[in-house]
Amino acid sequence: MKLLLVEDNIHLADDMHNFLVSDGFVVEHAATLHEGIKRINIYHYDIVIVDIGLPDGNGLDLIKKMKSNNIDAGILIVTAKNAIEDKVHGLDLGADDYITKPFHKSELNARIRSILRRKKFNSSNILTINEIKVDTLAAQVYVKDNPIMLTKKEYDLLLYFMYNHNKVLTKESIAEHLWGDHIDQADSFDFIYNHIKNLRKKIVNAGGKDYIKSMYGMGYKFCE
Amino acid sequence: MKKLRSIKLLSKTTLFYLVFTFLAFFLSAVYLTQEAEEFIHDELQHRFNYTEKKVMRQIRAGNYPEKLPSNVLLFQLEKKPDLTADPVYSDTLVYNSELEEMQLLRKKTIVFEEESKYYKLIIYKSLEDFYRLKNDIFGALIPAFFILAIAIVLFNSLLSGSLFKPFNKILSQMRTYKVGIGAGIKSVNTSTTEFRKMQQLYHEMVERIEHEYRNLKEYTENMAHEMQTPLTVIRNKTENLIADEDLMQKHSSTVKIIYDETNHLSKLGNTLNLITKIENQEFNNAVRIPTRAVIEKHLEAISEVAKLKSLEIKKELSQEHILFIDPFLLDIILKNVLRNAVRYGSEDGPIKIKTTADSLSVSNFGPPLDVSSERLFERFYRKNGTRASQGLGLSLVKKICELNNLKISYEYGNNQHIFTIISNVE
Repeated sequence: MKLLLVEDNIHLADDMHNFLVSDGFVVEHAATLHEGIKRINIYHYDIVIVDIGLPDGNGLDLIKKMKSNNIDAGILIVTAKNAIEDKVHGLDLGADDYITKPFHKSELNARIRSILRRKKFNSSNILTINEIKVDTLAAQVYVKDNPIMLTKKEYDLLLYFMYNHNKVLTKESIAEHLWGDHIDQADSFDFIYNHIKNLRKKIVNAGGKDYIKSMYGMGYKFCE
Repeated sequence: MKKLRSIKLLSKTTLFYLVFTFLAFFLSAVYLTQEAEEFIHDELQHRFNYTEKKVMRQIRAGNYPEKLPSNVLLFQLEKKPDLTADPVYSDTLVYNSELEEMQLLRKKTIVFEEESKYYKLIIYKSLEDFYRLKNDIFGALIPAFFILAIAIVLFNSLLSGSLFKPFNKILSQMRTYKVGIGAGIKSVNTSTTEFRKMQQLYHEMVERIEHEYRNLKEYTENMAHEMQTPLTVIRNKTENLIADEDLMQKHSSTVKIIYDETNHLSKLGNTLNLITKIENQEFNNAVRIPTRAVIEKHLEAISEVAKLKSLEIKKELSQEHILFIDPFLLDIILKNVLRNAVRYGSEDGPIKIKTTADSLSVSNFGPPLDVSSERLFERFYRKNGTRASQGLGLSLVKKICELNNLKISYEYGNNQHIFTIISNVE
């Protein structure tokens, strides 16, 4: 999977770069709109992550360019929070999804995976980690090939863990992924604990291993 | 400064005008009377002289004392009088038996020598007609003044409509002016210099305000935006630390604090930015929204949380509750009010959400507030200074309500906190 990251902040780009590389992507970086446009015209990418606020222009122009040149790559736009006009405009132009700053890297990962899945770059809808198998099309989870029943939230949670396996997911990141800002985060932590407890129980009862490990009270990790 | 009573400019000018006109009329009356007096004097002088000469002629012709005019008395004097003395004038009232009224007469007494004889001549002239003329001056000026006064008042009150039309237009522009939409001010066409000047100054002022406002807004926006990227970097780096198990064994509490505070700061920046945007009325896609479906969507989103807290939610939603508001702002209102209810709701009773044709109320059980309810809507007001919530939610809701013709109120009764949003506030 080849990925283009158009982001002007060097630290942020570096960090996202490292994270995505460790996740198995081939990542190229453009710091300006100009460079981004140059790159998409020369190389092929599966996903383009583009920040809207670039020093030499609006990231939306890159999307326009891609659409007019028939470049078929998944597009994820990065916007400042509350800039809903940008979001709406971006999606209208043909972006696949958006993520607002500041985002959790695990959330970024989940969004990328979800775009890839929708765009069918990943020919298969099946996500497997050892004895756990998820059919993302049917939203069905199997443990040792036996289907298990999960609630919507438990399913979302498991998928989030599997997209980000072997990585620490902080409680904040999980809360945001599951509820957005519908609840206070302080409250949500108890609910996360609850959901994780139930998820574990369901997997273990079906004969699976307990992969979810608590990390110093800050979050959880799905250890393979 | 002394507080002055407010008077319409036109009434004021009219009043001053009337006072000055009155003075002018009075002075002209005085002047005219004096002029009249002088004229009367000259005219009488002339007539006295004429009669005098006539009498002399008669004496010389030897017609004395037969042919004398009726208003003359002539006496022959025995002794020689003082011929150098001035003639004597005096006014006297004489009864006129023909007209049966007293008449004012002027009497001129002179002595003279004619053909070696000495005479004393008294001539009477009626003053009646002259004085009538003199009085007529006053008599004519007073009604003239009143007619003029009435004309001015009427004229001004009729004129004020058309004369002050541009002024009132400019005023209404000022009244409806909102910061941030200055470009749309139309010029009012007027030939009145003062109004033109006022309009020009107003336009210049608006331009200056708009300029300053744009600067400030850009600054705030840039601040909020520029702050987010470094915060994301800090957070991401902290997440890297969290992934490092060796480090976490030693420093987990420190890392947790950095992480929590970064998140807090980032959220704060976002919310403040949102408030600014709301204050600037950037969310202005107001549409008619029947709220029932929207509320149900929000209730679904929080139902899980409520269940986990063992809170029951009772709803009573009217199909007639319709708001005219930007959907994004309605989302913020509902999100905050419901989140609040779930956060502070106790298990003593259900959270109730109820809508009627013109009100929306959300209530939850709980102990009474420990401070005054007015402070509830203040920015950064939090129960015991906890950091669990930002303390901006309700102030945000209040701001949105203010800008959308909604009225939010809070009351406490029967162990319940009740927030009510009333629409169609005039």
